[in-house]
Amino acid sequence: MYFYKALLNNYYYFTAVILFVIGFYTLLSNTNLIKKIIGLNIMDTAIFLLFISIGYVKSGSAPIIDLANKQAVYVNPLPSALILTGIVVAVSVTAYALALTIKLYEHYGSIDLDIIFEMRRQVIK
Amino acid sequence: MKLMVHFPVLTIILFFTSAFVFPLTGKWSKKSKYNLALISSAIPLILSLLMAFYVSNKGGFSYYVGNWVAPWGIEIKADCLSVYMASVITLLGMLVIMFTRHISPSDVEEDQIHTYYSLMLLLFGSMLGITFTWDLFNLFVFMEINSIVACAVVSIKDKRDAIEGALKYLLLSSLGSGCILIATALIYAITGNLNFSFIHRELLNIVKDYPLNILVSLSLFVVGFGVKAALVPLHVWLPDAHSSAPSPSSAVLSGLVLKVYVIGIIKVMFFVYGTAIIKELPILKLLNISASLSIILGSVIAMVQKDIKKMLAYSSIAQIGYIFLGIGLFNETSLRGALFHILSHSITKANLFLAAGNIIKKTGIREINDLKGLGSKMPVTLFAFTVSSLSMVGLPLLSGFHSKWLLGLGSLRAGQSLSLTILLVSSLLNAGYYLPIVISAFFKETSLNLREETLITKGIEKFVLITLSFMVLFFGLFPGVPMYFVTKAATLLLGN
Repeated sequence: MYFYKALLNNYYYFTAVILFVIGFYTLLSNTNLIKKIIGLNIMDTAIFLLFISIGYVKSGSAPIIDLANKQAVYVNPLPSALILTGIVVAVSVTAYALALTIKLYEHYGSIDLDIIFEMRRQVIK
Repeated sequence: MKLMVHFPVLTIILFFTSAFVFPLTGKWSKKSKYNLALISSAIPLILSLLMAFYVSNKGGFSYYVGNWVAPWGIEIKADCLSVYMASVITLLGMLVIMFTRHISPSDVEEDQIHTYYSLMLLLFGSMLGITFTWDLFNLFVFMEINSIVACAVVSIKDKRDAIEGALKYLLLSSLGSGCILIATALIYAITGNLNFSFIHRELLNIVKDYPLNILVSLSLFVVGFGVKAALVPLHVWLPDAHSSAPSPSSAVLSGLVLKVYVIGIIKVMFFVYGTAIIKELPILKLLNISASLSIILGSVIAMVQKDIKKMLAYSSIAQIGYIFLGIGLFNETSLRGALFHILSHSITKANLFLAAGNIIKKTGIREINDLKGLGSKMPVTLFAFTVSSLSMVGLPLLSGFHSKWLLGLGSLRAGQSLSLTILLVSSLLNAGYYLPIVISAFFKETSLNLREETLITKGIEKFVLITLSFMVLFFGLFPGVPMYFVTKAATLLLGN
C-alpha cells in the first residue's frame, strides 16, 4: 500500500525514470543512427522532466515576489534556469550528431551501423 | 594577492576568448595563426605556474564569479589538486600546439587550420574549467563543452574512420553526460545545493534518511565519468576515436581529456560525498574490479594490435586503469600514486602519440611490423619513443616508475596483494608490446625504400619531442615538485 501511495504522489519521478530507460535502451540497442539520436533526445528530455519536477511547488506561482501577498508560494526557479542550459546543450549535441551522420552517409551510403561495420570488415579483408 | 584571485577564471577566459577570435583569422598566413595559438596557450601556462607557486606557499583560495558568494554564485577554487592539474594541462597544451606548426594536410586541411586551433583552445579552456570549478552544474556545462569539442577535434580529419570514431564517441559520452546530469538532479533534490562544500555539509546530515538516493547518484556519477574516462566495461569508444584522430588531437585526448574526467570523479567522490560516505558504499570495490580489468584487458588487447596508434589507444585504457586502481585502493600512498600517474602518463602518452604521428606523417607507416630499422633514419623520433616506452614499462629513473612504485606500496598498505600482482603482470605485458617495437626499430634493417629527404623532422617538432622526453627523465630523477603537490592533494582529499 505504501508503495502505491509513493507511486501516486511522485508519479512524475517514475515517468521520468521510465522515459530515461526507454531512451537509454533505444540509444544502445538500435543500429540506425537517427534512431540512436532520437533515443538520446528522449533520455535528455527525461532528465529535464525530473529536474523541473524537483523544483515544482504545488499551486506555486512564478518566482516574482509579490509584496502585497505575504503567503504566496513560489516555484523554485533554479532548476528551470539550469534546464534552460541543459536544453541548449542537448540541441547542440543533437545538431552535431546529425551533422556527423550526414558525413557518414556521404562516406558509406548508409546510416545503419550493422551495414557500416560489414563494409568496414570487407575493407580490412 | 589581489590580482592572483582572478587567475583561475582568467586562464579559462583567455582560452575561450582566443578560441572565438580564431574563426576570424581565416585569411591569415599559417605562420601567424600558429603564433597567435602559441601566445594564447603560453599566457595561461604562465598564469598556472604562478598560481601553483602561490598555492604551494600560501595555500588555496576561492573566487566567486560575479561576486556572488557561495550558495548563490559559482565558486571557483584553486587548491593543490586543481593547480597541479591546471599546470599539467597548460604545459602539455602548449607543447602540443607547438607540434601543430607542421601538421600534415592529411590530418587537418590547410584551410581548416584556424578552426582546428579554435577547437584545441576551447578544449583546453573547458578542461581547466572542469579542474577549477566547485559547482556541480558548472562542472556539467564544462564537461559538455569538453565532450563536443573532443569529438570535433577527431572529426576535423575528414576520413571515414575518423567520422565514425567521433560519432561513437559523441553518442557514448552524451550517455555519460546524461548519467551525470540525472545524478546531479538526485543530489539537488535531497540537498538543495549545487556547491560542493554545501552539498557535502548537507549530505553528512541526511545520510541516514536517503541511503538509496545517495547510492544511486554516486553510482550514476561513477558510470558517467567512467564512460568518459574509458573505464573497462565502458571503454568501447576509445580505440576508434583516439586512433583515427589527427596525431596532436590523439595526444591531447589520451594525455589530458581522459585525466580530466578522472579529476572530475575524484572531486565528486571526495569533495561532494566525502570519505565517510564512500567508505560505507560498495563503490570502491567496484572501482577496484573494473580498474584491474582495465589494466589487464587493455594490455592484452594492445599486444595483438597491428596498427601503432590503435596499440597506443589500448595502452591508454590500461594506464587509466592504474589511476582508478589508485583511487579504489583508497589510502594516501595509492592516491599519491594515482595523481602522480596523471602527470607521468600525460607526458609519456603525449610523447608516444606525437612520435607515432611523426612516423606516420613522414613515412606513411602505420603497421607495427614495418617499423623495423627506422631508428637510424629518424633518430630523434625513435629516441623519444624509446624513452617513453621505457617509462611506460616502469623502468627506474623514469617518471613511470614512481607512480607504479607508489601504487604498489599503496596496494600493500591496503592489504590487496592481488592488485600488486596485477601491477606486476601488467608491467610485464607493457614490456611485451613496447619493447619489441623499440628493439626492431634500432637493431633490424628496414625492407622499405624510404627517401631520406621526406624523413627530415623539423626543428620545432624535434624540440617538442626532446622536451617531452627530457621531462619524462627529469620527473623520474627529481619527482620533488609534483610529488609535493600530489602529497598535499592526497591529504586534502582524504581529510574531507
